[in-house]
Amino acid sequence: MKKTLCLSLFAFTSLFADADLERLNEQVQQLQMQVETLNTKSAQAVNTSASFSQNAYLPEIALILNMSAVSRDVSNNDYANFALPGFIPASTAPLPFNKDKGFNFNYAEVAMHSVVDPYFEAFTIFHLQPNEFEIGEAYVQTTALPYGLRIRAGKFKSHFGRINSKHQHSWNFDSQPIIYEALFGPDAISDAGVQLQWVAPTDTYIMAGVEAMQGSNDRSFGDTDNGNSLYVGYVKSSVDVGEDLSILAGVSLAHGKNVDALDGSSNPTNIYGVDLTLRDQLGSYSALIWQSEYLYRNKDLGTRKDKQAGLYGELVYQYNNNYSAGFRYDAITQNDTDLTAYAGIDTDNLDRYTAMLEYKPFPMSRLRLSYTYDRTKIMAGERKDMNEVMLSLNIATGAHGAHNY
Amino acid sequence: MKKILLLLSVLLTTVTFGSVKVDATYATMGVIAKKVGGDLVDVTVLGSAKYDPHFIVPKPSLIAKLRRADLLIINGGGLELGWLPPLLRAAHNAKIRNGAKGLLDMSHFVPMIDVPASVSRAFGDVHAQGNPHYSTDPHTVLIMAKAIAGKLAQIDPEHAQAYQQNLAEFSKEWQAYLEKFDAKMATCKDKKVIQYHQLFNYFLNRYDYKSYGTIEPLPGIAPSSKHTIQLINIIKENGVHMILQDIYHEKKTAKFIAEKTGAKVEVIPHDVGADGSKTLEEFYNTIAKRICH
Repeated sequence: MKKTLCLSLFAFTSLFADADLERLNEQVQQLQMQVETLNTKSAQAVNTSASFSQNAYLPEIALILNMSAVSRDVSNNDYANFALPGFIPASTAPLPFNKDKGFNFNYAEVAMHSVVDPYFEAFTIFHLQPNEFEIGEAYVQTTALPYGLRIRAGKFKSHFGRINSKHQHSWNFDSQPIIYEALFGPDAISDAGVQLQWVAPTDTYIMAGVEAMQGSNDRSFGDTDNGNSLYVGYVKSSVDVGEDLSILAGVSLAHGKNVDALDGSSNPTNIYGVDLTLRDQLGSYSALIWQSEYLYRNKDLGTRKDKQAGLYGELVYQYNNNYSAGFRYDAITQNDTDLTAYAGIDTDNLDRYTAMLEYKPFPMSRLRLSYTYDRTKIMAGERKDMNEVMLSLNIATGAHGAHNY
Repeated sequence: MKKILLLLSVLLTTVTFGSVKVDATYATMGVIAKKVGGDLVDVTVLGSAKYDPHFIVPKPSLIAKLRRADLLIINGGGLELGWLPPLLRAAHNAKIRNGAKGLLDMSHFVPMIDVPASVSRAFGDVHAQGNPHYSTDPHTVLIMAKAIAGKLAQIDPEHAQAYQQNLAEFSKEWQAYLEKFDAKMATCKDKKVIQYHQLFNYFLNRYDYKSYGTIEPLPGIAPSSKHTIQLINIIKENGVHMILQDIYHEKKTAKFIAEKTGAKVEVIPHDVGADGSKTLEEFYNTIAKRICH
């Protein structure tokens, strides 16, 4: 028995070629070395200062700078005190962007995003103007709710319509569409409140949302004496036609209360919006984009009911990653209100034409040259059509997140 | 009756029973997921292979696809940074949110190359985690398949065995393919190339090709005449005969360089479907056919 065992063992070992043994030896040695290095590594203190470091939890921070050079055929004073008949009385418009002829530094915006915990994420946008600090937006939103739901709370831009939630630096044109400026002012519907959004579990994109907001924007609302007064609701849907053409459409409603400046009485304001965006992708870097909105306001003032509306339509052709060109038409289409303050002044056909040419050396920087022919303004007591040429520069640095569709 | 049928078909497309809904950001990963998941999964590819993978248009229709996904497979390495995060945020799908079980970042499994020592936007659009274009190397297919099988087993434990079995079968099949593929690649003689973007580095590294430069001066920066002239000189000095062009960038510069140097422009697909290929084999065979001389 022992003999056979010995023999077979001998046969077994002799079967091993010398080369194989060497290879195995090498492998064993390598493994031993690896174990040794691992051992020494685990014994060494690698970093003695990081015990209480929280750097890994810092928010993602982006900095956005926006500035311009402006030329206009009206004086700075006339421009700053303009009136928009039926909407903005003379000298009351805040003009945070591109106010003066010559150079303007518009803002530096600090945008931060951070994951709070497994259930919330937070966004903050500090909007810094040369003489003003403003919390543009600051809100938390849920990340882990079931059934396609999401709740947001804080100060935020409403998702009413299409352009309302977008920041100035992501607009296709430097100026705000005239109907938004008329109904809400430069910040659009932006207020403290809560938002609930739901995405339907369907093949077609359908999103519905409701918002309860403070309603402090007194251009259209303003009654905050008895708690919050603004409610916003919207439904948005999108379909693709083929692989390259996408269509996004939405309907929105904002229901709030305005306050009469004289007797303090509170009356309802309803604003209805419809929006349509088409994007035809012509290549990886080239697209044709159409964006348009129509807004209608029914403002009950107790003694009378104002019915006003306006629209804009913009067409942008993106030639490649570096160049784009676009044209926008915007107008006040209905202005049934008390215009006696403008007696003797032509207040019909309030509209504006804007053309722009954009150059982006890199996705983070953008130069935009635009020409505007503005027929919406009353200046120094008379209707004055204005020509404006502007070159704007926008820079986005740091951890700047991607933009929405 | 017709109406009822129509209604039924609409309902059926909306509710698919018993299958795991898998979204993949790019086609190659989608095809692999289908191989590993078989009939148990329903795979949707988000980014069309027609387009530059860095610049997929964040169409709202993609939100609807993300809304119902049980598993989202991403390439990672920063490739989706320019388009996916806002969509993901808008989809309100807790299953595939960052940190959830249903998000699979493939770049955590593939050993990344070209990892920059330091990162600054002064160097162009560099990815901090390394070169994200690993799926051009057919050897990464096995790594991806294994990672997907593991993830599917975690999400759908009932069918863990089926996924393992699919993986085993596919791995065997792919090993055989790789052996033939590698043997074929070993016969290639001309191994000097330039490329538009550092898109094919994984493939080039695998088969000992040498890339002498890129048509874009820096990642994501459009070609300049100064850089193009430098490149022409490099090509002449080093005897480079091949310009690797992707399907989505402009082809004028490559053609110009070809005219000046006599090098040949080869259009190389970056993803399954980028040039009409439907299978993994067709995709890699096309690369080999055009690159191996």
